[in-house]
This record gives sequence, structure tokens and C-alpha cells, in this order.
Amino acid sequence: MNYFMVDVLTPYRVLGRNIPAESLFVPTIRGEINILPEHTHIIAKLDTGMLSIMGAEDDPDRHFSITTGICKVLGKKITILSNVSEEQHEISQERAERALAFAQEKLDTMTLTPDEFVKYTRKIERAHLRIQIAKEFAAANNKH
Amino acid sequence: MASVKDLKKKIKTTKSTLKITTAMKLVSAAKLSKAQQAIVSTRPYAEELDSTIRTVSALVQNYQNNLLKENENKHAVLLVVSSDRGLCGSYNSQLAKKVRFFLAEMKDLDFKVYFIGKKVRELVKKDVSEGKTYKFAKTEPSYLESKAVADELSTLFAAGEFGKVFVAYNVFKSAMNFIPTIKQVLPIALDKTFQEKLKSEIPFDFKYDPSPKEILDVLIPESYRSTVYTCILDALAAEHGSRMSAMDSASKNCKTAIRSLTIEMNKLRQEDITTALIEVVSGAESLNA
Repeated sequence: MNYFMVDVLTPYRVLGRNIPAESLFVPTIRGEINILPEHTHIIAKLDTGMLSIMGAEDDPDRHFSITTGICKVLGKKITILSNVSEEQHEISQERAERALAFAQEKLDTMTLTPDEFVKYTRKIERAHLRIQIAKEFAAANNKH
Repeated sequence: MASVKDLKKKIKTTKSTLKITTAMKLVSAAKLSKAQQAIVSTRPYAEELDSTIRTVSALVQNYQNNLLKENENKHAVLLVVSSDRGLCGSYNSQLAKKVRFFLAEMKDLDFKVYFIGKKVRELVKKDVSEGKTYKFAKTEPSYLESKAVADELSTLFAAGEFGKVFVAYNVFKSAMNFIPTIKQVLPIALDKTFQEKLKSEIPFDFKYDPSPKEILDVLIPESYRSTVYTCILDALAAEHGSRMSAMDSASKNCKTAIRSLTIEMNKLRQEDITTALIEVVSGAESLNA
């Protein structure tokens, strides 16, 4: 039975509102946490990773790539505020691979400032995550 | 007095103006719906962020953040969000008027005026101390571009160069209506009475991961960036709305002008025909006599 209602929001678009869920896997900065019914009220900082919203019975599971943000659990309402987020089916593996190659190329040059270094390292992290999610989605589609 | 030929030429010109204004109206209508969609997509994030900040800050004691700190510095920034192009009615002139009025009212602060969009800059640059003008790759700035502007101003604020940051923009109300507004974005003001009320409404505390202070350190700059982005989106929607209604009335005026010019041209042509006929008839009669 679905217990939670989940909102996934970014600064420039709404990815989902009131998504029914039985449980969630959320990537926080201290590792992935599993949110089950009767979870305590929590506000946690998110890290780059995959957010999985598990629906009960007929509701499908939904997966999102998340890049930093906040997760708020208040009773049956969960809000995910993320800086950048994409749902599994929107991710293009080809684009992610291109981004990875570009960021890798930038990192290989020796003239980066510390800020640029952090920027491109994060880009690589995100690209890896996207490629992983896109591959999982393709594999799940092939199974069906 | 204009000849039939002159009038024909005038009608032709007005018709081509009509074509342009109609096309501009349609383009603005499409852009307006896109801009409205962008506002609708941004609002839930901004509202949720705001409510989370209020909740967390109400439940946390003695929190300090650079962006919340009131400071005595007399230097302030006014970021004016206007348009790059004209033909949008009184969109820019009303905002320029509001800016002038505001600067006169806040005489005790020493303002540096930054601009997004060049139209209001052209109108007020003689009267103000001009700062930077931001340019974006497209007319509609992306969230990242708006974030860069917001971060630049917050860095200056945190470094103590400015004591206050304001944004002047037109708030979108409807396609026909917008309100020139000036909003203080820094320092962020948290309503103390609201916080006390909230404290009594939430009888429990949240668990925080990591500490509430670290969470607020992330949320507060994010909320400020989201406020600046919302202001820019509002201004864009207001610009397209204003241009659409300006082009609509221009199209109506063109149609009225074409109608009256056509009537005038027809009258003139009829007069010419009548004169020619009278001449032929009187010529024929004089031959018969």
C-alpha cells in the first residue's frame, strides 16, 4: 500500500508532484538511506546519486538522477529539492558519454584553477551516474 | 491634397506594418505562454525552499549567516531587470520612473545601479552611478546564468562592499497588466513573529543530517538565488505580455487607418471618374449643339 506522497522539485522545473510511494532510497551525503513508513521527521542534505521511488502494487518504481539538494520527510509528505535532476527515461546515454569525455579532457589539461577542478570533477561524477542510470533503464526495457 | 496614387502607397505601407505587428503579437503570445510556464515550474521549488528555511531557522537557536546579517554600510546595489528591445508599451518607461522615484526616496544610501537589459539603462544612466550590465547568451537567461549574477552580488555583499541589494523589475500580473516593483533581496529578512508562530505550531523537532546549521548554509544561498531567478522570470513574462498587448493595439490602429484611407481613396477615385464622365458628356453635347 502506498504510504508517502513525494514531490521532486528543481529550481526550474517540477519533475513530479504527489508521486505515490511505498518506500524510497535517497542518496544523502552520509550514504544512501531507505525511507519506510513511520520514518522520523528528517531534513537531510543530498549528494549526487540515484533517487528511487518505489511504488506499491500497480504504481511503477521511478528513478531520478539527483545532484545535491535537500530531502525533507514530514509525516507522509516527502519533498526532494535538488539543484539538477532528471528522470531515468529522460537521460541520454550518448549525451552523458559526450559530457564525460569533455570533462575528462578538461581535467587532463594542467591549467585548471581549483574551482574549475571541482567543477569538472563533479561533471564527471554526474556523467558516470547518468550513464549508470541510462544503462539500467535500457537493460530493464530489454527484459520487457 | 493626396492623390489616389499617394493613398494607395500609404495603404500598402500600413498593410505591411499590420503584417509586422500581427506577427510580433503572435511571437510574443507564444513567448508569454512559455514564460508563464517557466514561472509555474519555478514557484513550487521557491515556496518549498522558503517554508523549509522558515521551519529550520525557527527551530534553530542563534544561527548566523552572511546573507542574513544586517549591516551599516551605506553603499547599496540596485539590479534593474528590463528588456533589450523596445515596442513593449510602457514596460521600460514605467520601470525607469519607479527607479528614479526609489533612488530619490532612498537618498541616504549610496546606490550603484546594475542592469539586465539595456532599455532602462539608456533612460536612467545620466542620473545614476552606473555599475555592470549583464548580458546573456539568449534573451531568456537560464537558471545557471541567473545564478552567476546572483552569486556575484552575494559575494560583494558578503565581502561588505554593499550593505543592501535590491532588485527592480516588473511583476507579471496578466498579459495586460504588470506592476513595477522594487524588492530587497539581501540581507534576507526572516519574519521573527512568523517564526514564533511556527515554533508553537510544530511541536516536534526534525532530525538533521548533517547539522541544521550546515543545512541552512545550503538553503539560504539557494533561496536567495531562487528569488533572483523568480524576479527575472517575472520580468520576462511581463515584457512579453506588455509587448503582446502593445502589438495588439498597434494592429487595431493599423486596421482602422487602412479602413479610413481606403474610404478616402475610393471617394477620390469616384470624384475623378465623375469629373471624367462630366467632361465626356459635356464634350459630346457641345459637338451635338
